[in-house]
Amino acid sequence: MLKNYFKIAFRNLIKNKVYSFINISGLAVGMAATIMIGLWVTDELNFNNHFENKETIAQIFQSQTINNTIGTGPAIPRPLEFALRQDHTDNFKHIVMSSWEQPRYLKFGETNIYRTGNAMQEGATDMLDLDIIAGVKDGLKEKHSIMLSESAVNALFGNDTALGKIVKVNNEDDLVVTAIYKDIPANNSFSDMKYIIPWKHYVTTQDWIEWSKESWGNNSFQLFVQINANTTMDVVNSKISDVKKNASSETAQFNPQLFLLPMKDWYLRSEFENGVQSGGRIENVWLFGIIGLFILLLACINFVNLSTARSEKRATEVGIRKSIGSQRSQLIFQFLSESFLIVFLSFIVALGLVLLFLNGFNNLASKAIVFPWTSLQFWLIALVFVIITAFLAGSYPALYLSSFNPVAVLKGTFKSGRYSSLPRKILVVAQFTVSVALIIGTLVVMNQIQFSKDRPVGYNKEGLIQIPVMSNEFIGKKDIMRNQFIASGGALEMAGTSGPMTNVWSNRSGYTWDGKPEGFQEDLAYTSVSYEFVETLGLKVLEGRGFSRAFASDSNAVILNETAVKYMNIKNPIGKYIRDSDTEDPSPPLKIVGVVEDMIIQSPYSPVKQAMYVFDSEDNTAFYNVRLNPEKSTSENLALIETVFKKNFPNTPFDYQFVDEEYGAKFKSEERVASLARVFTALAIFISCLGLFGLASFVAEQRTKEIGVRKVLGASISQLWLLLSKDFITLVIIALLIASPLAYYIMGQWLQKFSYRTTVSWDVFAIACFGALIITLITVSFQAVKAATSNPVKSLRTE
Amino acid sequence: MIQITDLEKFYKTEEVQTIALNKLSFNVKEGEFVAIMGPSGCGKSTLLNILGLLDDPDGGSFMFNGTEVAGYNERKRSELRKHNIGFVFQSFNLIDELTVFENVELPLIYTGVKPAERKKQVEAVLEKMQIMHRRNHFPQQLSGGQQQRVAVARAVVNNPKLILADEPTGNLDSTNGNEVMDLLIDLNEAGTTIIMVTHSEHDAKYSHRIIRMLDGQKVTENILA
Repeated sequence: MLKNYFKIAFRNLIKNKVYSFINISGLAVGMAATIMIGLWVTDELNFNNHFENKETIAQIFQSQTINNTIGTGPAIPRPLEFALRQDHTDNFKHIVMSSWEQPRYLKFGETNIYRTGNAMQEGATDMLDLDIIAGVKDGLKEKHSIMLSESAVNALFGNDTALGKIVKVNNEDDLVVTAIYKDIPANNSFSDMKYIIPWKHYVTTQDWIEWSKESWGNNSFQLFVQINANTTMDVVNSKISDVKKNASSETAQFNPQLFLLPMKDWYLRSEFENGVQSGGRIENVWLFGIIGLFILLLACINFVNLSTARSEKRATEVGIRKSIGSQRSQLIFQFLSESFLIVFLSFIVALGLVLLFLNGFNNLASKAIVFPWTSLQFWLIALVFVIITAFLAGSYPALYLSSFNPVAVLKGTFKSGRYSSLPRKILVVAQFTVSVALIIGTLVVMNQIQFSKDRPVGYNKEGLIQIPVMSNEFIGKKDIMRNQFIASGGALEMAGTSGPMTNVWSNRSGYTWDGKPEGFQEDLAYTSVSYEFVETLGLKVLEGRGFSRAFASDSNAVILNETAVKYMNIKNPIGKYIRDSDTEDPSPPLKIVGVVEDMIIQSPYSPVKQAMYVFDSEDNTAFYNVRLNPEKSTSENLALIETVFKKNFPNTPFDYQFVDEEYGAKFKSEERVASLARVFTALAIFISCLGLFGLASFVAEQRTKEIGVRKVLGASISQLWLLLSKDFITLVIIALLIASPLAYYIMGQWLQKFSYRTTVSWDVFAIACFGALIITLITVSFQAVKAATSNPVKSLRTE
Repeated sequence: MIQITDLEKFYKTEEVQTIALNKLSFNVKEGEFVAIMGPSGCGKSTLLNILGLLDDPDGGSFMFNGTEVAGYNERKRSELRKHNIGFVFQSFNLIDELTVFENVELPLIYTGVKPAERKKQVEAVLEKMQIMHRRNHFPQQLSGGQQQRVAVARAVVNNPKLILADEPTGNLDSTNGNEVMDLLIDLNEAGTTIIMVTHSEHDAKYSHRIIRMLDGQKVTENILA
């Protein structure tokens, strides 16, 4: 029986090539999009799956309340480690202090490589279950040791033995390779960790780290833990939440609350809003999951519409089968088998499409998804996916077709009822509602990105490079380098800063100033900068001046941004002082010498944070910011600067970043969303138009006689075109009326997450509506004009 | 074999009710060949549809082999139909997407006959209808007469007790029409009961009895043999 069903289905497919093409291509495109989104969602959800102990690993986060706003982040103070080890050690299998991931130069012989890695405590190896290829598992035990990833070893040593060899780190420290571990695969935390140096070594490399040993206010480190098997995250949270608050009266005013963020949440749910976990990437997972489902539904709607529209053609068969004894359930089964066959063929085509476009999709989504050929789970899910799609697409047509009355059908009196096309119309409206909403959504996302890109950044980011200079060999060389860079002709100006111009590395509190409101808890972005900071960046000075060599007192001076002046409520700030609130051992007061226009350092979507640029009297330079010479080409400038750099630091590779590119990277996440949304919107429109094309050709075919009669009676081609097109145009207009308020509401909500945001303007709707109507007209007109220009004699004869 | 008593069927539209069968009664014995005649709209086809269990009467009784079947549900009707009744239509009603062999095979599939047995039975009936050489052709590749032979073959392949023929020669020329009538006579002589609706006096003469209808009622009944 099944063979018979498939035989008929297959012959129908071949007989009705256009409909088969529309059905299979629409479903294949829809299924391919859904499969790709499915692979992407799986990849996102499987983040950190590599780690054996992922259920028990967590990072300690803290929430602090500053001026009634709760800020949450992973930065913690060093004394926390000692407190946990002393009083709470029974909760943890491992307590592992860690630095932030940081790039360092690793040198062996003449080979010098630049890799990111961490400084961590000994428990890291066991906690992260590192796969040690060679050497010892406790490779961090000795202070002057280093563990290298396999790829770093290959780059540094080639085929030579690495174990026991000495690697020079940042041209300063000689560390012995004690272990080689397998690189942590992509799609996992720590996948960029190509080396680990011992924490006990790290804390001795810079004075401030040593000093921070007893400072509960210096939140500059990370702390990872693995909890014991006999406890839970919640239990541990209840025990550690007030550890910092109770230990430090100095920071208690900020009500620091500690908690564990489980490893499974690091990637997908790492955002907090006023102390409450608010999501993160998981929102995109949902967003694209829903888009994928919608695209599949659109393709299924095509199948439903075309199957039911062509029902009269299948009616005779239904009548015959019923007359020779087929039960309705058997007919339902038959039509479901047909939809299964079509969906299965579409799935095969979809797999081909996925393989063809997976690389492009990976580029678009910044992923490295590999097609899971050998995954039994994938094929089982694929089977369920095919069956569900077949049911989605085939159920209604099966129920509808099998319901025909055999008497009416065989008598030849069968005609679809007056309202039989209503479900099809509703489905077309649904298709276009989704498509138009997607168009509007995509346009709003693109507008928001452009709006933020057009936001004035407050400094001239073009022609500016930053050279990382974090190792000790650069200390004291700042002015020499500046002079030589300028003398080379490659640079106009240079300034050193303690952080990059595209991120805030340090936030400070503990200040006081005249007029500071009672109980005010300040939180200021802190960057120490050198003399030519204002000139190099091209900052606009609103009041006062930049730092100047002409003023010796500038060694204790500060420049504020305009937000900081408002935030601190300082009237006539120039000449006023900002003092250390520590009365026992205060730092010298800082004299305000200038106020500059706000510059965007952090998110281009958020308000600019109150910032203080303190003169760097201790040479805490982390970056040389170099303004390139506009008279020369960029490559010439870079060559000149590199020559100077190499002359001074012959053993250090010349590394630099363009500030405008670093700034542009801030839009990556949203741009990725926009790119994906553009592709999936295009697919949704394609599928919807494919269905519309099929329906238009069906209507043209169905109304052949009417068109012939009208032509004979004198109707013009344009009148006939209007006759055939207006029904579809009406449906699309209804879709526009539904989609527009819906999209307005949804995108309005989406924009709420950006402080600096565009509005959902009327032109977005105008473009979407106009676009949808034009696309509909083009799709429908092809069939309408074809029917309208056909010979009426021929069409009447066919009747 | 068939006893119908006071059979009624109405068709309702939004405004009017049309009486298709008006308290119609007659019997058909096993092995009989009965022709039903009458002008268009007299209720012939409605009667045939009810006899073929494709349609429900609105009133009266319909006994098939001694069992009242008037109130049967869809499942029971199709069960009874597939084992006992074969149809021959004026417009042949073959499935275009199936070959001659596959069209004839269809009723056997629904009655659950095994593939090997199906092949044997289909080939036997195609031989009998002299269309074996066309077994792999599709309906549209055959002449009208050949198509109706296939339809008859399909109707008899299950050895039904009753064949209902709705103007079986209506779409055929006289030569092909006569051939089809000869086939029906052969089947009847072999024991199959046949009820045939026809406009053709010529065809009706092949039967044993002619029932003439008007406005849903039996007006005359002529016994020919």
